[in-house]
Amino acid sequence: MRANYRRDVHTASLRGTSVRLKNRFRCAGPCSRGAAIAAFAIAAVLLPNRARAADFEVQAETAAQAYQVTSPWGDITLDRRRILQTLGLSVYNLQGKYEPGKPTFNVTVKLRLDADFGINQARTGEPPGSETSFDTTGRRYSPGLQEAPLDIMYAYVEGRNLARGWFGFRLGRQYVSDVLGWWSFDGATARITTPFFVQAEVYGGLEQRNGLVLSTGRWERNGIWRGSHAGFGNEAGQATLTDYPSYQYAQPAPAFGAALESAGPSWIHGRVSYRRVYNTGTSITQQFPSPAPPGTDGGYPAVKGMRVSSDRLGYAADLNFAAGAPFRAPLGLKGGFAYDLYANTVSNAFGGAEVYIGQNAVIGVDADYYLPTFDADSIWNWFTHGATSTFTARTAVRVGRRFDFSLQGGARLWTTEGDPNTFGQGECDAVGGGGCTPGESYLDPTQPGLVAYTRAPENRPQATVIDGIGNVAARYRIGSGVIGLRGMAQVGDRGHRAGGDLSADQKFVGDKLALGARASLFDWADPTRPDRNATSFGYVLGVGYQPAKIANFRVEWEHDMNRLVGHRFRVVGLLNLWVMK
Amino acid sequence: MSRPKVYTSRSTSGWWVVAACSISVLFGLRGSGAFAQPTPAASVSASASAPPAASATAAPSAATPSAPRAEASASPTTAPSSTAAPIAAPAHSHGMSAIAGDAAIPLEWLPPGSKVSPLPSDEIFPPQQLTIRFNHKKHVQGEKQTCKSCHSGAYTSTDAGDSLLPKPTETCDNCHYTDHSNLKNVTGDTDPISQCTFCHLGENAGAQGKVAQLVIPKPNLRFPHKKHLDRNVQCGHCHGKIEEVELATRDFLPRMAGCYACHQMSGAAQGDAKGDCDTCHIAEPSGKLTTSFGAGMLLPPAWLHNAAHTADWIERHKSVAANDSAFCGSCHANNFCTDCHDGRVRNRKVHPNDWLSMHPQAARQDNPRCTSCHAEQTFCGDCHRRVGVARDSASGNRPEGRRFHPPAATWTTGPRSSMHHSWEAERNLNACVSCHTERDCATCHATKGVSGGQGVNPHPVGFANGCASAFQRNPRPCLVCHQSSDAILRTCK
Repeated sequence: MRANYRRDVHTASLRGTSVRLKNRFRCAGPCSRGAAIAAFAIAAVLLPNRARAADFEVQAETAAQAYQVTSPWGDITLDRRRILQTLGLSVYNLQGKYEPGKPTFNVTVKLRLDADFGINQARTGEPPGSETSFDTTGRRYSPGLQEAPLDIMYAYVEGRNLARGWFGFRLGRQYVSDVLGWWSFDGATARITTPFFVQAEVYGGLEQRNGLVLSTGRWERNGIWRGSHAGFGNEAGQATLTDYPSYQYAQPAPAFGAALESAGPSWIHGRVSYRRVYNTGTSITQQFPSPAPPGTDGGYPAVKGMRVSSDRLGYAADLNFAAGAPFRAPLGLKGGFAYDLYANTVSNAFGGAEVYIGQNAVIGVDADYYLPTFDADSIWNWFTHGATSTFTARTAVRVGRRFDFSLQGGARLWTTEGDPNTFGQGECDAVGGGGCTPGESYLDPTQPGLVAYTRAPENRPQATVIDGIGNVAARYRIGSGVIGLRGMAQVGDRGHRAGGDLSADQKFVGDKLALGARASLFDWADPTRPDRNATSFGYVLGVGYQPAKIANFRVEWEHDMNRLVGHRFRVVGLLNLWVMK
Repeated sequence: MSRPKVYTSRSTSGWWVVAACSISVLFGLRGSGAFAQPTPAASVSASASAPPAASATAAPSAATPSAPRAEASASPTTAPSSTAAPIAAPAHSHGMSAIAGDAAIPLEWLPPGSKVSPLPSDEIFPPQQLTIRFNHKKHVQGEKQTCKSCHSGAYTSTDAGDSLLPKPTETCDNCHYTDHSNLKNVTGDTDPISQCTFCHLGENAGAQGKVAQLVIPKPNLRFPHKKHLDRNVQCGHCHGKIEEVELATRDFLPRMAGCYACHQMSGAAQGDAKGDCDTCHIAEPSGKLTTSFGAGMLLPPAWLHNAAHTADWIERHKSVAANDSAFCGSCHANNFCTDCHDGRVRNRKVHPNDWLSMHPQAARQDNPRCTSCHAEQTFCGDCHRRVGVARDSASGNRPEGRRFHPPAATWTTGPRSSMHHSWEAERNLNACVSCHTERDCATCHATKGVSGGQGVNPHPVGFANGCASAFQRNPRPCLVCHQSSDAILRTCK
């Protein structure tokens, strides 16, 4: 589809409304909202039973965290004091009694408040690097950052098995998860199940995007930084377009998609998916103001109108011949890909096979291919070069009912156009400069000889670097306890990361009391930043209690230590309430 | 059990707490009580054939004991009536197990699907306690009885929890000269086949009118026998060749792989043998399957969508979910997935301790996976701007004179050594995007002049061949770096 756009020149007018956050009394807004959600959750949980046909579910999660973040330079420590409050409300079986295969109607809503009270306003007068502030003015303003964003994670009405099982629908904010990745939108989905071992799904609506009402950044495609422009304006101290030309306005993003999927047979399943999303509204293009033409004061060029944001097609399938298939073999196969129709490239693909050896062992091989693609508004689609490819072999073995483990090993490959080890010397030779040293000298990138060298295909053969990777995981169950081990190593020219976690969890007192401990040891090195190489040891101690089925809480203490940050602590308190009536 | 080393340090005052808690956890693990998944009852061996006595479907997971062979083979000492004198019965060698002597059962006799699932699910069919002996083979092949002769209840049963064991007054008593009409005072002839111990296990079976309880827990399943029999799905289709064996042990309970011989229909729209999970499995009001049972957690088998939840499942669940997320949704609600994929509290199953310190290196090496949960421009960028890592951090946040990357000559301005940013960007552009915005790149890569850059071409080889269609569909990215009047851009129009 040809984009409907209009190039325009704005005279620095994209400043947005300056909606100031009401955080004079810092706890007033977010606290009251959090308290309201919590109070509502408790009230809902404690409501008396009444005669009903439908089933009600209330879920509330409260997570309080306090920890510190140290900047890469080590001398800046930022406090984080976060409170996460979610509230989920569901009403199932509005039609009455639930019967498998019969029509059902459900309503599901989940709200989330994610507040961070760690901003330290007292540091306002300190040197740069101290801390952002939630103020919408001043030199610590960070666009889009909110102290306590409230968002609707999902909220939809759903009907299943309508029209004798042929039809289902979902209306509202909802997730889609398939080979095209996770995605969220506000709209409607219709699903048709046919007697021909196939079902179809169509959906349409508006993509959920950061900066829209009751939305936070989710799975909109990367590449475009967008959000609320609260705080932008012409007043002294306010951010302007010149400060953040890359920060785009959030605009409604119409989207639609369709999927065709197999249904019924257990041994084979496939789904082909298509989805297109549009960008609308005005978007700054040029990142630097145009020189003022005669009679104007310059400005930032922009495009307007509907244009593609993403346009992708994907397919995934799995087959298993161990049971139910027309011919039997202890073999499972799987694979899939996503094709970016805008960038005209396969953005990711995967495949694998596994063989069952007896009942307790599996061996398999897997391959994964990933090429970053971005929102079609983004320049980075056209910077993308090489893919990350991963090839692994794995085995998973169960030794009795208590113990199982898995091992995985393989390689991860990255490609570049040109050999990083020789390209720089070639550049020096091309400009004929004596004393030119890769990584040390300065070169004018616009020199004709240099441009010719860097763009010549013969100087840009594909080069590959390889990391070796390995993973181990094991579980040993003792009664209601589990001892777990997870270890990993990834080693190569791009540095290394290796280590593991050993954990133990055990329940007591009729599973009401839970104790847990975890110790970890990791070592990593980054050749581009050797000053950040470190070895880390950390441990976690946790205790949980579940006084009744409707509630459980847990407190965890984490202590990490490495040479970069010294000692760092984290305290997490979790309270979960759950009622089904 | 060996005790793991506990890290200790005199210099850190809190270490004693660590040691104390770790030791208490270890003690807890050692002293743990009931196992979550009890061992299924074993078959017992003895002799003879007899009809079963009245019993109960009862107690769930707690019941597991297996009747010891010594006890099973002991001679009975009690009479059929609690008041009658004991009459010795011959030692029994049949009816105590599927095949006499507890020999291995041929695969072709087991229910369909046993090849991939040699044992029935403990979660669906909790362990049983069989305290009788019975020879199906003798009754069917020798006595010419049919399944219906004893299990007529199956023909009217609509609930998997219905007891389909024969009523002894209608079946056993007819041939065994017994009278079970009063279970507190069962009477019988003096014939050995009338003795309590002929059928009931235990040397004191029948003493004081008591026999060991037969425990066959209700299956955690929806299964209307009537519906299947009405459709001519005969007993053997699900239970295997019971007519060939003696005692019908748990081995002859259905396997899910066998169910799929018929249950492959296309959802609710076609037929009654639907492939939907809740056709057979018990579901919560939300429609999600019930997965937590006394005998353990209900987990998918390996042969179903390659979805065995092995120890490395978290590493490889992507390929299953990408293909059929509705399959995941059979058991998992939105929350389960979004706790990680749209989460706000670090999940230690995904990110280990000290993740804040090591995540930059992880992002360089493992970047594809970041984007499955994190929006780089917001989740990553917000924090990077707060701590001043991002280039467009507010001036008050960014320390002066600090560089995140190597020196400019190495990273950007010099001839490209192996440390030049171009290689990093080519290998893993996502990592760049988590900090940088378009202006950062346009500073050099935009065309010279009005666009404000230095004209360093970032495009891959062959880019010009495919740029026209992209420009038509969305010209915005082109116009970030190129003026619309650029001669180069005209080639893409």
